[in-house]
Amino acid sequence: MSVDISAEPLLDLIPYGEIDPLALSVLAANLQAVLGLPTRVRPDRPLPEDSFIPVRYQYDAVKIVGSLDRERDGARFRMGVIQRDLCIPILTYVYGESQLGGRAAVISLHRLHHIDRQVTFERGAKIAIHEAGHLLGLEHCREPGCLMRFSKQLEQLDLLPMRFCSACEYEIARLLKRAVQNRY
Amino acid sequence: MARSMHIMVVDDEETICLALSAWLTKEGYSVETAASGQEALARMAEKKSDLYLVDFKMPGMDGLQLLAEIRARQPDAALIMITAHGSIGSAVEAMKRGAIDYLCKPFDPEELSLIMERVEAARAIQQAEAPVADHYAGTSQLSWGGIVGQSEALRVVLNEIEEVAPTNASVLITGETGTGKDLLALAIHMRSEHAHGPFVAINCGAQSETLLESELFGHEQGAFTGALKARRGRLEMANGGTLFLDEIGEISPKMQVNLLRVLEEKKFCRLGGNQPIDIDFRLVSATHRDLRQLLREEQFREDFFYRINVLTIHIPPLRERLEDVPVLADFFLQKYAQETGKPVEGLTPRAVEILMGYNWPGNVRELRNVIERVVVIARGRMIGAEELRFLKTYDDSCRSAPATLREAEILHLQGALEACDWNVTRAAKMLDIDRVTLTRKMKRFNLKRP
Repeated sequence: MSVDISAEPLLDLIPYGEIDPLALSVLAANLQAVLGLPTRVRPDRPLPEDSFIPVRYQYDAVKIVGSLDRERDGARFRMGVIQRDLCIPILTYVYGESQLGGRAAVISLHRLHHIDRQVTFERGAKIAIHEAGHLLGLEHCREPGCLMRFSKQLEQLDLLPMRFCSACEYEIARLLKRAVQNRY
Repeated sequence: MARSMHIMVVDDEETICLALSAWLTKEGYSVETAASGQEALARMAEKKSDLYLVDFKMPGMDGLQLLAEIRARQPDAALIMITAHGSIGSAVEAMKRGAIDYLCKPFDPEELSLIMERVEAARAIQQAEAPVADHYAGTSQLSWGGIVGQSEALRVVLNEIEEVAPTNASVLITGETGTGKDLLALAIHMRSEHAHGPFVAINCGAQSETLLESELFGHEQGAFTGALKARRGRLEMANGGTLFLDEIGEISPKMQVNLLRVLEEKKFCRLGGNQPIDIDFRLVSATHRDLRQLLREEQFREDFFYRINVLTIHIPPLRERLEDVPVLADFFLQKYAQETGKPVEGLTPRAVEILMGYNWPGNVRELRNVIERVVVIARGRMIGAEELRFLKTYDDSCRSAPATLREAEILHLQGALEACDWNVTRAAKMLDIDRVTLTRKMKRFNLKRP
């Protein structure tokens, strides 16, 4: 996918708390290169207080996504990045959460950790691209080698190549064009 | 990618409804939500769902009461009960009353995904059966999970499955290649008490011994070069369900010993591991080979043979139950006409005669491929003798009594290629081998289009 990095950003990557700057750079670079989504990294900020669930010692992804969605300023899409464990009320954990065809998403690097930093970053990039695909309006795909396929385990995530199947790629190009037209 | 299943989530907690609905929508399902049992029934009157995800504890009508109401209105509906942690008793009660599964909230995304896969697989079988069941309603023909026919031989096989399925005994299915042993194995699973567990199949003849060992037993990280991570094997995956070992006659004596130990002890260790893992599954095996002959030749262990062969079901070749041919042909014709969108309605009496006169060395699989081909090339509403001309030539060439195996193979390949106008891809499909294998054989036997 061709990328014009000088273009106005379509996605803001928002670190919650202290996140390895290199991880953020890798995420932004992959979102731009693989998805064709002009991305900028915003300054870090604290997590919304009400997103912490003390009994589960996890953060509620739905609340973080909700608070990002309510923000008026910024790019068309915004994606939070956290180092803590994320969940939604019905699921024990999630790697990421997003609004289908919406504005906001959040991903967590917590469960993606690997002894080799490069593997952790690659996993994070795959999750970020997957969630950004949902923001564009893409559902899960059944093709084994497509980034929009739901990965049940990290093992499956690691096996995914850093690309979409041809059907999803076509759909992304179409949706991206529409997103550029409705930038704000 | 949109999926055809419609799902209703019933929960009085809005956050649960929203979260589940969002997750399922991303999976491509169409989803609606209801905040109570009463609302669910009102919505159901307008539009029925294929699957209901129902919270056990709701004010007013609880999950069990709603389950009874849904089953009364829609007996074939699938329902999964959502319960709180620590209320396994209520989940078991729901299962007894007809729920297909349960989830304790909050649940693992992997668990939800696996359950949805199971529901879809069960639904696919139900759908494969339904049109044929409707088509043959009121006739003496048999239709069962994709197994179709009208012969006495098939009736005997289906009766055997009915008897064997509810037991927990190991079953050995024997029959020639292409007779549908895998479908029988799945039918046994779907009618057994393991039906809600996984059905895990593996073809033992399609891989090397080391790969098969790793596939079955899984491995720990670093167990061998390339084992970068620990991996679950098929034995572990089949826990709580059915393990189907296809082409069991191909496994080595060493692997027979290993498997025998697993079957007897109901535990095993992953390759490179020393932690025993408990397993409980129902074993169904299949082979096209004569295992008793292999026993005599000492290629198959007697103790393993008797362990996998508690009950045997033999599926006769198609040539011994030719009365199934018209029904099967009609079944495949409907299927492929629907898939290709072609307005093909049936076979002429002469076409049926030709099909009945053929020897079917490739059994049901060959018949299926033939029908797929004629549907693709069909121009009218009825398939006639003209469209099946290739079959006659092919059969004649096969029956010309070759002297050696090499000659037989050449004639068979030549027949298939001629039947497919020397289209290698189509011929390979008809022969049920891959294209590369056929190309290699053509080169070896110097087979060229005349």
